[in-house]
Amino acid sequence: MTDTLPRTAAAGDAPGTPSPADANGRTRRRRRWSLSRLDMAASPYLYIAPFFVLFAVTGLFPLVYTLVVSLHDWPLLQGQGDFVGLENFATVLGDRFFWNSIGNTLSIFLLSTIPQLAVALVLASILDQHLKARTFWRMSVLLPYVVTPVAVALIFTNVFNEQSGLVNNLIGLVGIDPIQWKNDVLASHVAIATMVNWRWTGYNTLILLAAMQAVPRDLHESAAIDGAGAARRFFSITIPSIRPTVIFVIITATIGGLQIFAEPRLFDVSNAGGIGGSQRQFQTTVLYLWEMAFFRGDFGRAAAIAWLLFLLIVAIGLVNFAISRRIASVETARISRRAQRRLAAHQGGTR
Amino acid sequence: MRLSRATSAASIAAGTAVLALVASGCATDTATGPNEPGGNGKQIELTITTFGTFGYEALYEEYMDLNPNVRIVANNIDTGGNARTDVFTKLGAGSGLSDIVALEEGWLGSIMEVSDRFVDLREYGIEDRGSDWVDWKYQQATDPDGRVIGYGTDIGPEGICFNGPLFEEAGLPSDREGVAELLDGGWDRYFEVGADYLAETGRAWYDHSGFVWNAMVNQLDEGYYTSSGELNVEGNAELRARFDQLAEATLSGQSAAQSAWDWNGGQSFVDGTFATFICPGWMLGVLQGNTEAGGGSADTGWDFADVFPGGAANWGGAFLAIPETSNNKEEAAKLADWLTQPEQQIKQFEAAGTFPSTLEAQQELAANPIPNAFFNDAPVGEILAGRAEGVIAQFKGPDDSLIQENVFGPPLQALDRGEMTADEAWAEALQLLNELVD
Repeated sequence: MTDTLPRTAAAGDAPGTPSPADANGRTRRRRRWSLSRLDMAASPYLYIAPFFVLFAVTGLFPLVYTLVVSLHDWPLLQGQGDFVGLENFATVLGDRFFWNSIGNTLSIFLLSTIPQLAVALVLASILDQHLKARTFWRMSVLLPYVVTPVAVALIFTNVFNEQSGLVNNLIGLVGIDPIQWKNDVLASHVAIATMVNWRWTGYNTLILLAAMQAVPRDLHESAAIDGAGAARRFFSITIPSIRPTVIFVIITATIGGLQIFAEPRLFDVSNAGGIGGSQRQFQTTVLYLWEMAFFRGDFGRAAAIAWLLFLLIVAIGLVNFAISRRIASVETARISRRAQRRLAAHQGGTR
Repeated sequence: MRLSRATSAASIAAGTAVLALVASGCATDTATGPNEPGGNGKQIELTITTFGTFGYEALYEEYMDLNPNVRIVANNIDTGGNARTDVFTKLGAGSGLSDIVALEEGWLGSIMEVSDRFVDLREYGIEDRGSDWVDWKYQQATDPDGRVIGYGTDIGPEGICFNGPLFEEAGLPSDREGVAELLDGGWDRYFEVGADYLAETGRAWYDHSGFVWNAMVNQLDEGYYTSSGELNVEGNAELRARFDQLAEATLSGQSAAQSAWDWNGGQSFVDGTFATFICPGWMLGVLQGNTEAGGGSADTGWDFADVFPGGAANWGGAFLAIPETSNNKEEAAKLADWLTQPEQQIKQFEAAGTFPSTLEAQQELAANPIPNAFFNDAPVGEILAGRAEGVIAQFKGPDDSLIQENVFGPPLQALDRGEMTADEAWAEALQLLNELVD
């Protein structure tokens, strides 16, 4: 609106000669146009930029810096030392405690994920029924998740106390000898897996429940009419229908399971500096990393462990990805096969 | 190591705080910036981090009353182990340390490698006070360049805590003097009486072998390191002989195989699980706290005898140091200096049982014995003053606490549970030494 005035003032100029004001307006318009083009082109990137800037600062930079640290001799107190190439990686790979920690991590991971998923599936299918006070039951399975892992570890450390803990007292009533929860390797893994299960089962239950509610009811109804029992419907309808969600739950459980730290760190706080049992019976890889960095003060090797763990998680993630893709393609293949069959039947009918 | 646990809940809470710090790499304790040191009427905030049972709370109040312009923000970490992690992490990060940090004798070896990160207290006149302390305490705080980085707080002369009623049951003398006479001698004598006690009652003699081993090593002229800083474990005949002695007693059942710093929530002090306990001065507060946590009281019968197997020994003791990162060095030095004066050390001793490191305070305690109601009215100050005589300061190398806890800890626990022979345990310790210390 502001440029209308100069334009009327310039109206007396000879036609054909572009007035300076006119040119002025055009450049301004062009500028505005290019601005809006820039806006179109750049804005989306700006909108998503905060995530990437944050990721670069808190994710990418530490990742790269950790790699730099892992290639140096780097004591905690003295700081950066000589460049040593891949020596830290070689030392860590040759360290029996590293492999011990990998074994412990996988063992605790299996002991926690498998029962956790099984129980979560059963709980979700129960909650999927027409229960009274449904919301109450659904909220209560999530309750353990609200408690921080530290509080969970504190409570369970007491429960699994070897001399006068709840569990040993209870099994003592039926005449079983006390179990050495903090000394025996398998027992300690079971104890830690119990903490993980207690906290995460409810969370997974709700995710699986959400998926189950998306399964069409008429499938269940027609199967019931055909005479399929509850168990049959659970295995033949519910589980196949929620397979993608199950895969998601497995992947998140894998990532979480490979990073277990608080529970083993706090299970036996003062023994040997809290590094996961006197003989590292339940030292997970992250706890081993912590020991290397902050207890033994070797940042170089700790950084190498961090990278090896990162690579391990990527490798397991890729395996998961491959499996979930195969399952997805099996699904689509099955659907298209079914569609073809139906189409063929339809064509046969008309012919 | 100087650690203590008041209650397991508190310890885990504090341990968690440390973990949170470690995990986030964040610094919480920072001195307030703009205040001028020396503050003429200006408000000054001083931060201080201690650990275990330090007994400073009342002293902070007193100092703030004397100096209205100073506000002390205190932080106490549950155990020495967690405090070590806290200090080392913040040193590594280059920020976050309080204006005053308590350092423990056991990690001084590592700290001395970066002693220039702490203020040379000679700038604040510590040299004039040099003769206040027992000479070895002052020496320990002096780095190879002659810089003095710590005001000594307490030392840990060791005596034997024993349970009178249990001794009586076993037909042994149960009064303080009688026990001191009974146990007078070397470790062989201690284990000999232990064997008698075990035969008589079928119960353990000491709580676990780790503490006994700590005392046996601390008492030697040279421990895990030679005085010149060389590792001194492999082929050390004296160390091996002591290890075998301990292993034999442990395998015969004299150890109660307790987990240290827990003792089944303190109950093992109450239910007669073991009859004797290694007691440096500061451990008296730990023993009392755990006994009370386990439902016991003065009637449980713990007492403190003026005797220690194999002669004088020291375990632990702390220093107050001022990091170079502090913004209030001068005021911090004043406070640390005041806290370690003989008068204040006596008050600290009364609050927490930490035995003073200054000569004047020691003499005071020896001259005016105060009966300790919890320990059957034993004059613990007087006894500890006697136990402090003849203590030699052993050189602590950079990995001393690591060797104690993680090299010898696991094999000793295996001995406690009877899973290894003495030879196997020693071999395991040497293997761990090669793997963990380089």
